[in-house]
Amino acid sequence: MNAYRSLRAGLVLLALVAASACSTKVERLDESKAVDLSGGWNDTDSRMVSQEMIQDSLARPWLQEFRGRPGQNRPAVIVGEVRNLSHEHINVNTFTLDLERALINSGKVDFVATKDERKGIRDERKDQDINARGDTRNAMGKELGADFMLTGTINTIVDPNGDEQLLFYQVNMTLISLADNRKVWVGQKDIKKLVTRSKMRF
Amino acid sequence: MSAGGVAARVRLPCAAACLAALAGCATFSDTIQSTERSLAQQQPKAALSEYEKLKPSAADRVLYLMNTGMLERMCGDYDASTRTLESTKGQIEQLRALSLREQALSVTVNDATKAFTGEDYERVMVNNYLALNYLEQGQLDAARVEALQVDVLLREKQQRTSRDNPYSEDAFARYLSGIVYEDEGEWSDAMIAYRKAYEAYKKQLKAFGVAMPETLKHDLIRLADRMGIADEAKRYREEFEIDETMSEADLLERGEIIYMVHAGLAPLKREKAITAPNPATGRIIRVAVPQYHSRAQSFGYANLSADSRSAKTSRVENIDAIAVRTLESEMPAITARTIARAIAKDTLASAASNSGNNSSGAALFGMAVNLAGVFTERADTRSWFTLPGEIHLARLALPPGEYTLKVELHGKDERVLDTKEIKIALRKGEKKYLSRHWIPTNLEVRP
Repeated sequence: MNAYRSLRAGLVLLALVAASACSTKVERLDESKAVDLSGGWNDTDSRMVSQEMIQDSLARPWLQEFRGRPGQNRPAVIVGEVRNLSHEHINVNTFTLDLERALINSGKVDFVATKDERKGIRDERKDQDINARGDTRNAMGKELGADFMLTGTINTIVDPNGDEQLLFYQVNMTLISLADNRKVWVGQKDIKKLVTRSKMRF
Repeated sequence: MSAGGVAARVRLPCAAACLAALAGCATFSDTIQSTERSLAQQQPKAALSEYEKLKPSAADRVLYLMNTGMLERMCGDYDASTRTLESTKGQIEQLRALSLREQALSVTVNDATKAFTGEDYERVMVNNYLALNYLEQGQLDAARVEALQVDVLLREKQQRTSRDNPYSEDAFARYLSGIVYEDEGEWSDAMIAYRKAYEAYKKQLKAFGVAMPETLKHDLIRLADRMGIADEAKRYREEFEIDETMSEADLLERGEIIYMVHAGLAPLKREKAITAPNPATGRIIRVAVPQYHSRAQSFGYANLSADSRSAKTSRVENIDAIAVRTLESEMPAITARTIARAIAKDTLASAASNSGNNSSGAALFGMAVNLAGVFTERADTRSWFTLPGEIHLARLALPPGEYTLKVELHGKDERVLDTKEIKIALRKGEKKYLSRHWIPTNLEVRP
């Protein structure tokens, strides 16, 4: 009898294990929590780099210098192209958006819509010209021109050795004055990761 | 009745049934015939839907993705192909670790139970075809990512394998990387990649039979001139006996068409097996190993012409030879594993027939174990069969403007196989990448 009972308990346990192994499991995570799965570039890297970069750039003298100019208050900035020159397919868009958000939320600079966004807005204004009521109409030719353009590159150096891989990311950002092509700020942020692959699997 | 009598009476029909069943039981290369037939009929879409009907086991997942990605590319669906091949890379990465369970199965059942992760050349080809997908869609930076990944892959490989391995470097991957860097205007990286391709073609000439591509000769001289490495440029000029070549500055004033022909299909792996009764024990022994069969390759070269200018393709990769040499270099290990497995299976069957008190039951049990061992002894014939047998490449520089590009495919016997006209517009400094998959109607394998 005892043997029968323990056998039944064992079977139930086995069934539970089997069931839990089969079902898809979803766990909600705090978006600021760092989770590293493959060792590649991920959301944590993107956010970390963009925040540190923008903090650094806003603390530099170019901002004070611009504000000191007669008739100027806040510089207008635009994010240009961030090129992915790394060995991974990195979604540069999320990185660019992280940069924009950090810049706008600082409240120290004005932000100009990107090339593609501007096109859509101009179409909308054209449409307003014809269809909107006169007192709510936004006229063309009143756009805010950018004073500075932020561009950058993401580079990597990979050193593979068997099951280990040393990944070195270097993100370079440059702020260029659109008036005279002067580079007013150059920022750099490095990330170094050692990825050890597992030697065994099921 | 004696136990031996029962066993003897049952053994013969059993062996016959076993052989008949073996013929019916298919290895991987037997399951893809309808896909192949559609490809030979020049219907890649039908081939893709035929192939998608196959339900791959978990162990064949990577192989399934490789073939699907290539068939999607042949259908012209570059987005789907890129997605599929990108996920192939992820899967391969996950399967890198050693699985004790699979190792045990491969020793006791057969090699095809191991998860397929592709040979080194197949993994490099994943990157190459992704790069081509990106290039043909005008995504140069994404192609550059692939070039960097191929570099990591090949460097890793060179650390792992011995120096005398014939496939220690992939000449075409290096050449393609060079083209990507040159398009990006990264001259020094382009020079290094071209140089690596040059060395690889030279070193592998005997193993894979691919002569230095004509285009690469000019590329080397042009880049060496551009970099101002006069002595190296002079050395190339003397070696290739070329006096005149277009300078980088002149090339940048023009547009360029980079045309590739992916000709034929990679060789097919077939099973080579011996099934024989062992007269000493009366048990059946079976040994099965894979063997490559090259396919008929009728493609010779392609000729591009637009206005009065023309260019001829040269062969840049011989996948057929790479596959065959790779298997050759692995054959000792495969054979050793196969023999070890045959001995293990026979020992198991012997132990089974000597088990228990009831001797006739034991004899039957022993025979069942023996037959199970024989049934499961299949060669691992999995390979990326939709890869082309050869890749050919031509570069044609043209002044900016609109052209009708005429492409003539020639057979090895100079016969024209196919003619096609493509309308194309080129801007100054622009490079357009075009590909053509050409599969002969006769896909017969050589014995």
